[in-house]
Amino acid sequence: MAFLRWIQDLPISGAIAESDSIWWGYAWWLFVHAVGMGLTAGIGFVVCLRVLGIGRQIPLSSFRVLFRLFWLGFYLNLLSGVILFMTDATGIARVWELYAKLVCLALALGAMSRLRRFIDSTENDASVPPAIRNTAVACLVLWLAVITSGRLIAYAVEARGTVT
Amino acid sequence: MLTPTDLVHIHLLLNHFPTVGMVVGFGLFLLALLKKSDDLKRGGLAVFFAIALISLPTYMSGYSAQKSLRGVRTVSQDLVDLHQRSALFALIFMEALGIVSWYGLWSSRRRARVRPAITAAVVLLSAVTIGLMGNAADIGGEIRHPEILSQSQAPISTEGVAAPRWLSSEFITRYQYNHPWAWKTLETIHFIGLCLLFGVVLVTNLRLLGWMRDAPLEGFHRLLPWGVWGFVANSVTGMLFFIGQAFQYIENPAFHLKMLCILLAGGDVLYLTWHEEIWEMERGAAAPTLVKVLAASQIVLWIGVIYFGRMLPYIGNAF
Repeated sequence: MAFLRWIQDLPISGAIAESDSIWWGYAWWLFVHAVGMGLTAGIGFVVCLRVLGIGRQIPLSSFRVLFRLFWLGFYLNLLSGVILFMTDATGIARVWELYAKLVCLALALGAMSRLRRFIDSTENDASVPPAIRNTAVACLVLWLAVITSGRLIAYAVEARGTVT
Repeated sequence: MLTPTDLVHIHLLLNHFPTVGMVVGFGLFLLALLKKSDDLKRGGLAVFFAIALISLPTYMSGYSAQKSLRGVRTVSQDLVDLHQRSALFALIFMEALGIVSWYGLWSSRRRARVRPAITAAVVLLSAVTIGLMGNAADIGGEIRHPEILSQSQAPISTEGVAAPRWLSSEFITRYQYNHPWAWKTLETIHFIGLCLLFGVVLVTNLRLLGWMRDAPLEGFHRLLPWGVWGFVANSVTGMLFFIGQAFQYIENPAFHLKMLCILLAGGDVLYLTWHEEIWEMERGAAAPTLVKVLAASQIVLWIGVIYFGRMLPYIGNAF
């Protein structure tokens, strides 16, 4: 708890939390987090849909380039997520939704990596083995869980209040 | 930025589109049926899609008109409420028509014609929409044109099938206050819809911009409805936020810019769906410059939608 307190009391955390700037203040990082979400979960959705057979005329191998954007979104969100966390570390660390989100996120990244390995190894785009299809379904569900738990963090923090 | 008076003018200007425009679109579609012309039918579908887009700001600017009439003694607030409910009822059918029309345009590419089931749904929905829009416009007209009322002293009936009570803003606002989970659920769906829409927009437009050249456009065309489902989820949830808390959005500059981005992006979608030849491009083919410009503008506009949506509480005052 002392550590969380220390993070939250860093001058930069307070400056961001209280800044009205729409360029580097709290609102800006919320926006960056939303775009990063669109990149990661959005590309995740499209890759999973394609693996499940939607848009099967697209060779899976041509989706490789999308993973660069996917990881760009991931790092944007790692950065913006850490910054948002710093502004209210003691409050956010107390809600279980945060840990649910992190677990689902780790699993979703694992599923995405498995899909990526399949895309890299495949010569024949026509047939997707059942195990990979199941991974895609799990991956879709996990992204939904990440978005839902992430969204609920804000309400949970608000409802339980911050430690003063 | 738009002043409250500008917004009232916008309402008085736009409110002709859903009524007059619907009659024009319906006429065009009936003519297409008579002439058995699929080109005309597609034209009718495009008109319906465009009116469905314009109907969104038409409905929303109505709240500004309502606000300007508050406390005006010669205006019946019951009549204003009835107009609003009827307009929302008509809007629901209008938007359903817009979605079916888009789907009809989209699916006609592969089948080389508009499917009979879609044609039937469009005729039915547009007939109902014209009736409901006419009703809403009629009530709206009575608000400020008492000379057309037959008995100006008669109490105004606020009951009627044309405007269910649960469509009143008051009911929707109260429901959201009494059920805190409702707002959270809507927000969550709004974020999921955002990801679906943004993912499809990004991937498809990147192909048009020249990424993933080894893939034919056909596959990306199949992805489009998924982006549209994301948009449908977000317009339904977004409208429920708006109706629940209309007065924190109507004069919010971030909200105006968000709506502007959505309308412009909707125009892009119509152009790209209408021009079927874009989706015939085989692997290796590059899109013409105009299509590339539209594709780039789509990505920028949807990022703009996310930006101004996220800024609603910060540039404006919404939560």
